[in-house]
Amino acid sequence: MGHQPVIVLDNGGCSCKIGLAGQSEPYRVFPNAIGRAKGERQSFVGDQLLSYRDASSLVLRRPLDRGYLVNWDVEKAVWWRAFKSLLQVQPQDCSLLMTEPPFNLPSIQSSTLQMVFEEYGFSSFAALPAQPLSLRAWAAERPDLPAAAAGVGVVVDAGFSFTHAVPLCDGRVLWPSVRRINLGGKALTNYLKELVSYRSINMMEETYLVEHIKDAVCFVSADLKADLAAARAGTHKLEYVLPDGVNEQLGHVRQPQPKERGKPSDKSNREQVLMLNNERFMVPEVLFQPSDIGLQQAGLAQTIVDAVEAAHPDLHPLLYSNVVCTGGSARCPGFRERLYNELRPLVPDDIEVGVHMPADPVLAAWKGASAYGMTSDYHQHAISKAHYEEVGCDILLNLTPGAAKTAATEYYTSSG
Amino acid sequence: MGDSGRRSSRARKVSQRISTVSLAERENAKNARLDALENDDATGEGVVGDSDEEFVMQDSDEDLELGESAARKRKEKKKGAKRKTRAMLEAERRGPITFASLLEMAGDAEEGPAKEAEVMYMGAAVGPPQHSATRKWCSVCGFAAPYKCVRCGSRFCTRKCYAVHVETRCLKFVG
Repeated sequence: MGHQPVIVLDNGGCSCKIGLAGQSEPYRVFPNAIGRAKGERQSFVGDQLLSYRDASSLVLRRPLDRGYLVNWDVEKAVWWRAFKSLLQVQPQDCSLLMTEPPFNLPSIQSSTLQMVFEEYGFSSFAALPAQPLSLRAWAAERPDLPAAAAGVGVVVDAGFSFTHAVPLCDGRVLWPSVRRINLGGKALTNYLKELVSYRSINMMEETYLVEHIKDAVCFVSADLKADLAAARAGTHKLEYVLPDGVNEQLGHVRQPQPKERGKPSDKSNREQVLMLNNERFMVPEVLFQPSDIGLQQAGLAQTIVDAVEAAHPDLHPLLYSNVVCTGGSARCPGFRERLYNELRPLVPDDIEVGVHMPADPVLAAWKGASAYGMTSDYHQHAISKAHYEEVGCDILLNLTPGAAKTAATEYYTSSG
Repeated sequence: MGDSGRRSSRARKVSQRISTVSLAERENAKNARLDALENDDATGEGVVGDSDEEFVMQDSDEDLELGESAARKRKEKKKGAKRKTRAMLEAERRGPITFASLLEMAGDAEEGPAKEAEVMYMGAAVGPPQHSATRKWCSVCGFAAPYKCVRCGSRFCTRKCYAVHVETRCLKFVG
């Protein structure tokens, strides 16, 4: 029997990844937010922000708070736009597969169910944690890794709102072993914003712009001591030319230019330049040592070790051999190498450590979901609208505490 | 000092000025700062906007074949654009829902899936570091900082940075 098209939605804290199941790339990736320029009425929803020309003074409202979907007013607008204008589909003819954060609260799950069926009227729906889906995509990318093929591994999800280390066995999440650092890309952006605002130009209102600056200049230091010395000597200095609103909308990076004594040219008078030095690597450094900003939590490597050690000892070698980095913060240059260097000394030396990164760490979860949406398994596990209308969301959630979890655990076993 | 009751007003004033910030207050300031790192925007302007209406307006020409609920909504819209339901007023009074409040609600439950989720969520947060000591960075320039401000406890590395610190940030966030 022919199935309805499945919309795959990876609803991240920073960006929404949306597309149809079975495709290799999402149709569109856009900010999961509504932006409004200061003092103006007009708002920009989701993908409109991508084409919006003036990045300065953009105030963003995001539907997710600490990684969990709470603000439906914003999310509703973003989703309507995504379904109607981008994908141009009728929700009632489609099935929706979306990702959800680990330990999603039942109250959030039920409001999601309500929204999906009553506001949009999808014909069926399933929410799955993103991490097993990422592992699935990774297994498809590297079939030669025995651990990945067996569905065993630790997915390190360095997301926008938090960072998770999620051990999986046989495609199932080992829920009691999941560990979380309450730090993500958003905190890093805000930290960078705070630093540059204090040290050079006040950027406190320019979160959207600082996010671009972070992506453009930040890197993870391989040897902090050496990099600090180099920063003191000035080798890591970069200049970020801020947008002037006329010629340029997002600004650009340039090498520092030697100061000329005497009269400066007209051009340099007009442009505002942000000097960046040790912020470039001290900001991502926070993920590896959260105590730097006063957060009393262990760094990323220790978090992975904690997570693995909470799992069965027989699994440890396989888990350590397949550590997969996903999420936006993992894109930071040097992330994988640094994580390996920190993890290696913490793991017994007879165990092999493999730290991997998919070709695109941001899209891993979406790709896994896209493949899963094509299986007959998905259609069996998705909650249909008729079923929802019959029993209501409370019963659905109570009968299967995390209906999503069961689905996630079983697709691996059946699809092999 | 202080037990004799003979301190002059001048002495009290001086002690106020050189008083240090207590550890508890430093802790509070630190937590407030960590909390601020999770905020969307420094200003509250965008958060409390009434922008809902605008979005519905944008969609209203497209939702001809939407579900029943949308159609009902549109009817409501026609009756009067400014009309608000009791639930909406209630929501407005409560302000935006935060994850912390939802978590608290889940924690208040006696048992069942909500409580379970809350316990799991809390348990998943990773503990304090075991293999490394807290590193000390200058609060002004970001390099290694051997010294600590006696008043507020912020770190600094040189006299130059200390001067900047005293001028700008010292006691600004605490006390």
